[in-house]
Amino acid sequence: MGGDIITISTDTEYVHLAWQKSEKELAQVRHPMASDRTGKVSRMFGVYDADTGLALRGTFIINPEGVLLNSEVNYYNLGRNIGELMRKFKANLYMAKKANEVCPSKWLDEGDKTLTPSATLVGRVHEALNA
Amino acid sequence: MSEAVTVLKLGERVPDFELPVYDPVKGDFGKFRLADQIQKKRWTILFFYPADFTFV
Repeated sequence: MGGDIITISTDTEYVHLAWQKSEKELAQVRHPMASDRTGKVSRMFGVYDADTGLALRGTFIINPEGVLLNSEVNYYNLGRNIGELMRKFKANLYMAKKANEVCPSKWLDEGDKTLTPSATLVGRVHEALNA
Repeated sequence: MSEAVTVLKLGERVPDFELPVYDPVKGDFGKFRLADQIQKKRWTILFFYPADFTFV
């Protein structure tokens, strides 16, 4: 889809190899599994937990120009919803093509209603969404 | 000794970084560099998680 996912933990790449080869849930994994052993990159994104030496559950979307556009961080016990990640990724892809449109809260996939901010939209979002 | 790092903000350009990786497709170790993604004009999703061999 024009994007690449990289998973990152503070485990070494050797542990990633061992895990991917032994855990059947990961048998279909095709993306690179990165090792942030020193926590340097986790710190850049504000997800390094110095008390444990582990990274929190953070997801970050970076555009092809290298700009950070989205961030979601959960505590250890809450998994992230992959459907939501795909929704955000698709929304970003769409808006990169249509720079004058924004994706409102109900936007789920390409083809859903967007908004085009302008002076005439001010105070009229309800009408625009229900047109 | 740890260096002070300013946490990135949304809208900010992410500085280049490099991490060792295990690549399951090649079955080998390699390197991920953000600069390569920019050069190839690809979107990048970074998915941080606490630890291998755990749950959730």
